[in-house]
Amino acid sequence: MTATPATLAAPAARAARRPARARRPGGPGSGRRTAGRVLHDVLVVLLAAVVVGVPLWLVLVTASKTTAEAARPDLSLPTELALGDNLRQVISQGEVLLALGGSLLVTVPAVVLLLVLGSAASWVLARRTGRWNAVLYTVGISSIVLPPAVITTVLTVRSLGLQGTAVGMVGVYTGMFMGTVIFFVTGFVRNLPIELEEAARLDGTTPFQLFTRIVLPMLRPVIATAAILTTLSIWNEVFYTFFVLGGGDTTTLPLNLYKVASAAQYVNNWNLIFAYVVLMSLPMIVVFAVAQRRIISGVTSGAVK
Amino acid sequence: MRATRSARTLAVAAAAGAALLLTSCAGGDLTSSSGDGGDDAASTWNDATADLSGVTITFGGGTAGGPLDGAIEAFQEETGATIKRVTYPDPYEQNLQTRVATGDIPDLASWQPTTSMLTALQAPANLLPLDDAPWLDSMDPAVRDIAGFVDDTRYAAIVSSPSVMGVYYNKAVFEQYGITELPQTWDEMLEDARTIQAGGGTAFVEAGGAQWPTQWAVQMQLAEAAQDGLWDEVNAGETAFTDSPIIDAITTYQGMVDEGLYNADLRTATFEDQSAHLFAGEGAMALQVNALLEQLLTQYDAQEIDDTLGWFPISAEGTVATTIPDNKNGIVAFKTGDAEREAAAKQFLTFLMTDYYPTYIEDGGLVSIVTDVPNPDTVPQLAQDIAASLGNSVGSMQSLAIANPDLYINLASLLYGEMTPEQVADATQQQFAQLAQAQGAEGF
Amino acid sequence: MATTAPAPARTAPAAAGRAAAPAARRRRAVSYPSWMLWPAFAALLVFFLVPTLLNFVYAFTDWSAFKQGFGFVGTQNFQRLFADGSLLSSLRVTLVWALLVALLQNGLGFVLALLLEGDTRVNRGARIVFFLPVLLSPLAVGYVFQALLRPDGALNGVLGALTGSDVSIAWLGSTTWTIVVVSVVQAWKWMGLSMLIFMAGLKTMPTDVLEAARIDGASWWRTLWSVRFPLLAPAVTFNVATALLGSMNGFDTATALTNGGPARSTELLNIFIFRTFGQGLYAQATTMSLVLFLTVVIVALPVILYLRRRENVL
Repeated sequence: MTATPATLAAPAARAARRPARARRPGGPGSGRRTAGRVLHDVLVVLLAAVVVGVPLWLVLVTASKTTAEAARPDLSLPTELALGDNLRQVISQGEVLLALGGSLLVTVPAVVLLLVLGSAASWVLARRTGRWNAVLYTVGISSIVLPPAVITTVLTVRSLGLQGTAVGMVGVYTGMFMGTVIFFVTGFVRNLPIELEEAARLDGTTPFQLFTRIVLPMLRPVIATAAILTTLSIWNEVFYTFFVLGGGDTTTLPLNLYKVASAAQYVNNWNLIFAYVVLMSLPMIVVFAVAQRRIISGVTSGAVK
Repeated sequence: MRATRSARTLAVAAAAGAALLLTSCAGGDLTSSSGDGGDDAASTWNDATADLSGVTITFGGGTAGGPLDGAIEAFQEETGATIKRVTYPDPYEQNLQTRVATGDIPDLASWQPTTSMLTALQAPANLLPLDDAPWLDSMDPAVRDIAGFVDDTRYAAIVSSPSVMGVYYNKAVFEQYGITELPQTWDEMLEDARTIQAGGGTAFVEAGGAQWPTQWAVQMQLAEAAQDGLWDEVNAGETAFTDSPIIDAITTYQGMVDEGLYNADLRTATFEDQSAHLFAGEGAMALQVNALLEQLLTQYDAQEIDDTLGWFPISAEGTVATTIPDNKNGIVAFKTGDAEREAAAKQFLTFLMTDYYPTYIEDGGLVSIVTDVPNPDTVPQLAQDIAASLGNSVGSMQSLAIANPDLYINLASLLYGEMTPEQVADATQQQFAQLAQAQGAEGF
Repeated sequence: MATTAPAPARTAPAAAGRAAAPAARRRRAVSYPSWMLWPAFAALLVFFLVPTLLNFVYAFTDWSAFKQGFGFVGTQNFQRLFADGSLLSSLRVTLVWALLVALLQNGLGFVLALLLEGDTRVNRGARIVFFLPVLLSPLAVGYVFQALLRPDGALNGVLGALTGSDVSIAWLGSTTWTIVVVSVVQAWKWMGLSMLIFMAGLKTMPTDVLEAARIDGASWWRTLWSVRFPLLAPAVTFNVATALLGSMNGFDTATALTNGGPARSTELLNIFIFRTFGQGLYAQATTMSLVLFLTVVIVALPVILYLRRRENVL
């Protein structure tokens, strides 16, 4: 994490001020030669179609078949379009709306808490010095390295009386992913110029105001990165969800996928499973499609320092 | 320095928290049971349809869409109780066990009524004894005491005809190769297999990709030994998997594979592939349990199945069947410490096995295990043959051993040539010893 | 990770002087109050640290599903575990897997980043397409590829159409190669993220250095390896770190694909741990978690530290 946001900002600013000059000598993607560019484009489209398109096509096509036809999933088109039926069955049997609500109920508070609490703590950790501070920092990021401790986590949640509740789940996620947030934000903060903060302090601003008014806005890129990574991880998380939430009233999309996938003990209902996968991925894909410019710029400017 | 204080406080808090949790668990206080759950609750058996308004119990199961669904709904209607379904996805046993370990106990659950699996739930501590259940006398005597016990106490209710290991064969293929009489010993079966193979057919169909079916061929050979007390010796540490007859059974299996008596895709075939191969006549025989029949019933009706397939039991020296009740065959009731819920749970069992039983087996196309309730018409002959074999049967490793090692995983490795029979036996024995020791069994 | 950037503006404010140092420290302590630390660490403590510590404590007990309560047994679990070869073989599988994933995911991500560097419409569309797998649930990805890679599945179907003969390779049925296949699937899922990070690194490269290389007449290839790749060091660190740590601790995709088969050749340590939990041998499972943790520390951290140091050098 050596390049400061100052150095990050500099070339970007310079590039913005300068007219589009961009190109490096030759090479793919340079856009200079038409034939080369056409070749490049064809290659890219082919690659995307085969590498990503084929598996996704399989999902879509199998989700549109009947159970019998979907028993051996292949790339052929369905003979009768059962997508609507499958989706309907999955929505009712798999309680998709309920699960969607549950996923939101658990993901949103967890991500908000992680970002707010995590960035506040990271700021303090980044600015302080000293050995003990370093110890606290190491402890803070330990959750990135350590493997899951499922039973003891559930025992803890249970002893707090939060077993099966969304609150308990939010708590578990906040603990589990705090390290990720601290890791990113601390690194970013360390490279923010301290002059602004010093100046504000001399003006008599309280630390809290300092943090919220001056530091937080500067943290936008890294907060975007952390938000995306934690949202992705939590939205798709099924292991801890099963043990903490299972049996309670809340359920999430991945948990219900599990249910749909084991609906009949010995038969894989590929069509239902994939219909569920389609439904389950839609929220993430929609959010991504809408916010992709922001997301990509957030990830790219926040993570690489 | 502030950071020092923060760090120290953190350390102390962490240690304190850990110690607190540790002591609360050390007391074995994982379940909320108040001692024995009250002996009164243990001997209370309500009438099947007694009123239970306002009582909510939970039912843990792996699958929805079976005849139990109807039972649960009917029970709720008749008694006013509420039953919440809790699904434990695959791997079912692992997930339920882990949740029980964290104290998250349902009131009822579908569970494999074998000694090893009941021990895994710590039956004496966690389950309600069912010795004085009112429906026991009306059960088919051949089935009633076949499973569900730990140390002579009954902890599981058997609700349907237990699954049995046997040989499913394709009638057309047998006819094609001139096999008119069913084999009466293992060697005779191998002779028939060789005849088929010599004629250009495939004798056996195995589902190596699914792994779990690989253990039947080995276990079925041990039936006579089991009748002579093999598993008691294993439980006491006197006989190991590396001794005869178990190692011999494994070696025989290896021999059958080496001889080429199996399907070409034996290593990767899934459970669905296996049944498809057999039904289509691409293989003559499959050594399997009731799950195969159930799987076929989702695709074909009873008549079609009876026309295409037949079934016979086999063992090393004869036709002794080996029983292996699965988790659809049994239901257990947990000690939750709440007398009302415990009584309601037991009442559900009574309801299922008495008033509702005819509907239950009709819905599920199941063989009846209650003496005065006849089989529904939709039951295939195959299922009836299987049930009939119970009279001359013995329990499997799962039923009679105190622990359930992953024999099948090691056998699947054997199919890939990664393990020799000796290694399979050795690895299985080690795992068995580990489990037995964890249980505090003598001799380990 | 107490290394900081060499930014000169970090020391005491303008009114310098030796007396300012302790005052600055005091001021710093006042300006960065502990109460802003507490909520985060409280959550961390309760929901992560305490369970994790407890987990490691249980490794020295005989906690199991078969008895109430437990007793301490010292290092017996460790001794037993290492005497039986399966822990070591699982460790080996996990390390091979982590290495393969780190290489494949980042190699592919790098290639994609280079390919899709230019800001054409096609490239921008492709970037989105390649990022889609990142959004999918690992469980779902496992199921999809399980269907795709069957001997009678779509991949063999396509290969068969291309070669004109019947292809029925058992992609998930080889004790030697399936681990590679599984790693490829994991790489497939995450290479989009890797690609984005590399692209970020490529875009924020100081253009003056690149201009200098162009003026010197360096070829595209030469520029890539001598100038651009070294400058990508931070991106490389990030990508390798996340790939290593993520693959050592994650196992959803592998479980959904093969569940450790065939013949345990893809049984990652986490899958083994879960299986042991499932048998009721809780103390043994936590022992294995402890071993996994130590392995991660011993293997992944030095690699990451080395990469960090390389960043500073380059």
